[in-house]
Amino acid sequence: MTAVDGIRVLVADDDPDIRDLVEFKLTQAGYAVQAVGDGLSAWEAFQEQAPSLVILDVMMPGLSGIDVLRKIRESGAATVPVLLLSAKSRDSDVDTGFAVGADDYVIKPFSPRELLHRVNGILARVR
Amino acid sequence: MTGRDLLWASSALVLLACLALVLLIVLTKVTRTVRERRTAELVAPHRPHLLAVASGEDEGGTHRDALIEVDGPARDAVDVVVVDLLGKVRGAPAEELASVLLAHGAVDRAPHDLRDRSTLKRARAAHILGLCHVGAALPLLVQALGDPAPEVRVAATRALGRIGEPTASAALLAAVGADRVVPAGPAADALEGMGVGISGSLRDALSASSPTTRTVAAYLSGEGSFSRSLDALRVALACDDDPTVREAAAVALGRMGRAADVVALLRETGADRPRALRRACAAALGELGEPSAVVGLTALLGDPDPRLAEIAATSLLLLGPAGRSALDSAASNPSVETARALARLQAGAA
Repeated sequence: MTAVDGIRVLVADDDPDIRDLVEFKLTQAGYAVQAVGDGLSAWEAFQEQAPSLVILDVMMPGLSGIDVLRKIRESGAATVPVLLLSAKSRDSDVDTGFAVGADDYVIKPFSPRELLHRVNGILARVR
Repeated sequence: MTGRDLLWASSALVLLACLALVLLIVLTKVTRTVRERRTAELVAPHRPHLLAVASGEDEGGTHRDALIEVDGPARDAVDVVVVDLLGKVRGAPAEELASVLLAHGAVDRAPHDLRDRSTLKRARAAHILGLCHVGAALPLLVQALGDPAPEVRVAATRALGRIGEPTASAALLAAVGADRVVPAGPAADALEGMGVGISGSLRDALSASSPTTRTVAAYLSGEGSFSRSLDALRVALACDDDPTVREAAAVALGRMGRAADVVALLRETGADRPRALRRACAAALGELGEPSAVVGLTALLGDPDPRLAEIAATSLLLLGPAGRSALDSAASNPSVETARALARLQAGAA
């Protein structure tokens, strides 16, 4: 058993490769991952599963990652950490992410190892 | 043949053409779906290896070796997914994925494929050369900037950006303004990826014959604060034939200019200048942050162009106490009031 065994992480990305990759990396590390492919499913899964951390792509069909983040911050579980994983790399995009309440912002193409470190770091701070 | 017959015949022809078009679209979609399904089926047994390599969970190289061993039709299918994944990860996993392509001969084939008749193959070849950082392919990629197919030109542009070799910057800047144009957005991104080594090319491109090239060069000079471009930017602001280039030069000077540039920027806010240029210069004066611009900007507060007056007021706020005081004592008008409200908001947020 590792310290992270069973901790629930919700991953939302419309790119199946990224979804599978993040799920694989985090599962290998011991997290319990649920992966979905659009913003609406992410919001529904968030309400049903009460994850300990959420990883959101920004550009998704239907609700964007920013929309989902905003809903999370306005919900009763507003303190759940959210990490944005996005190809949008301009300063203004990163600023918007943090302004809406993201705890971290990782730009694609990304290092899966770095992503894992950031997830571990965020969860260590909030637990 | 009567007029009625002609009408029927032409209607039938139009209907047939529509049917043929619908059939073609359906056929293309079906072919693509079948091809994607076939690729997915071929890749499925190797997907765990792909994910392990791409996620950096392959310390002994076992999964990479398994991918290298893949043969037959599955090899091409695996390569397609490897190329896709390569664009999504960086660091050691990207290097491992590139080594699979190298072992499969995809990298060696890419220079040859850049001359293939298939547009898709040429674009993919350029993509692979960029993803695998094949510096030796630079001349071929530069040549591909003039490819007849726009998707190949864009792929070559992105590949040059990934390789990041600044010697390609002059060709890329020229391609932005060529007949077979390379879009300015991807070109600017690629040039930014080449780092400070592009400063000489940027300065030279400010006197290129194409206004698009000059605009991109001015924009990037400001974005990267390339001081070697300063003199050329001043010339562009004062004399360029193209108003867009002059606006881009104003923006760049706002970011990286000196106190002496206030006079030139103020001159271009004159009532006889194009409206967009006047606005760009007023904003640039705020960005520049030189208090010597206060008087000139204050004079713009009563301009008939309300947007220009608003920009001038906002710029005054950026000039510190002198600018703020000028704004406070200016005669009231809607633009001044907007800027004052903004100032109050900023003070409240601080």
